[in-house]
Amino acid sequence: MTTPTTTSTGGTAPVIDQKLLAALSSIDRPPRPNPAQASFTFGWRALLKIKHVPEQLFDVTMFPIMFTLMFTYLFGGALAGSPREYIQDLLPGILVLTVAMITMYTGLGINKDINKGVFDRFRSLPIWRPAVLVGALFGDVLRYTLASIIVIGLGLLIGFRPDGGVLGVVAAVALLLVFAFSLSWIWTALGFLMRTEESLMAVSMMILFPLTFISNVFVDPETMPGWLQAFVDVNPITHLSTASRGLMHGDVDMTQVGWVLVACVALVAVFGPLTMRLFRTKQ
Amino acid sequence: MSVLDQTRVDRPSPRPRRLSWTVSDAAVMIDRGMRHTLRNGDALFMSVFLPIMLLLLFVYVFGGAIDVGTGYINYVVPGIILLCAGFGAATTAVGVTNDMTTGIIDRFRSLPIATWTVVLGHVVASMARNLFATGLVLGIAVAIGFRPTASPLDWVGAIAVVALFILMMTWVSVMFGLIAKTADAASGFTFFILFLPYVSSAFVPTDTMPAALHGFAEHQPITPIIETVRGLLMGTPIGNSWWIALLWCAAILLVVVPISSHLFRSRTRV
Repeated sequence: MTTPTTTSTGGTAPVIDQKLLAALSSIDRPPRPNPAQASFTFGWRALLKIKHVPEQLFDVTMFPIMFTLMFTYLFGGALAGSPREYIQDLLPGILVLTVAMITMYTGLGINKDINKGVFDRFRSLPIWRPAVLVGALFGDVLRYTLASIIVIGLGLLIGFRPDGGVLGVVAAVALLLVFAFSLSWIWTALGFLMRTEESLMAVSMMILFPLTFISNVFVDPETMPGWLQAFVDVNPITHLSTASRGLMHGDVDMTQVGWVLVACVALVAVFGPLTMRLFRTKQ
Repeated sequence: MSVLDQTRVDRPSPRPRRLSWTVSDAAVMIDRGMRHTLRNGDALFMSVFLPIMLLLLFVYVFGGAIDVGTGYINYVVPGIILLCAGFGAATTAVGVTNDMTTGIIDRFRSLPIATWTVVLGHVVASMARNLFATGLVLGIAVAIGFRPTASPLDWVGAIAVVALFILMMTWVSVMFGLIAKTADAASGFTFFILFLPYVSSAFVPTDTMPAALHGFAEHQPITPIIETVRGLLMGTPIGNSWWIALLWCAAILLVVVPISSHLFRSRTRV
């Protein structure tokens, strides 16, 4: 601390505390954080955003609950004979749809950071550059996990009984998280490209709506017109939905899991470098 | 003293209300409402493209899996038409709330016009927008295979029921718009209305629903309106649906219009 002393001219001059001086001069500059530390710090930042703006959890909680209840009870009887029968087939699909839908918030978060100027602050920090993106994606994985727990919990309450047991459910969720992480790179790239949140949301919905609904999430593709079946058969959401059903009910077709992993690799291989390029040019 | 100082300028006496002037005020406000509609992309999207997307989704994705004893498209179109009207009316609530909160009403009050024509403008613009959107959805439905068997008289009846439903939904939205303090709140209020068609016979027969939902679906206002429109367009028996539908619409209008008028007067009082 500093204590004022009277000088010969009548003014006061601060006397610097010796302890403070020693602290300022003797402590070395902290070491630069490694990529993992930096990424986890930004992941923690993503979680703190949820704490401070809990409204953003609405889509993680209310959206899956509404969809599950609506399709099970309103359309379940007409689509599968009874809600109880339909939930066995629907729940893995709803899980896929819910998590796929909320992946777009990764891009929205980054777009908001850019527009608010937070990215300019991050540029001045001595950190591994991609940590900002990787951390945001880590934070989102927790969000996807939370959505998965809510959907499965609700499903169990209303009659979902997975024959694959706990292991099957965990495996299905793990596969879903890998896919969601890969899909998030698309929205991250779009987050850099789009000027406003509204335009990003519109583009995201234009891509996600057909991907999620024109799939086997709700109904057997055999009941669809031939030209639509052709799209459904190559849709990665269909493969993910089939793989999730298989894992949860203990009759998994590993070919489907393989196709999902191929889609994941392709998404990261294409959109990972593209995002990093956009990230560097934005910086 | 100058001539200007000596001249006493009397304040003009309030303009006597004449029917022609009131009609003129209303025409200006209706024109304003229509311009707002054309310039509001979100409203157009909500009232036109969303119902079309739902129509295509239910016909092509779910249609083959839902057994209704007839072609699913012929079953679902009347429900989509009413859903379309609901989506369109919901945007009216936001428009009314914006007017009430952005200070434009204060400007209108300083003009020699009938202030209530502001609400009339919203109502007529909503009616026009929704009838247009409904016509568009109907056109696309016909293009993808909807084949109504209605006679000209049945068509007139169906259009009248849809128009009455749009009027009812519009006034409900106006009421919510006057209650809400922000545009977001107005959107939230109308969410419940938009959910009602799903818990009705719009997409699936009510007897496929669990008992509790079936009871609600059978006795809520949307179901008899849908059954009436479906019966008129497809030539299926209506039974007593038509008068229950008219009764619901009339009862809701009799409650909502006076409430909206009272809310508007109380919120625009000096």
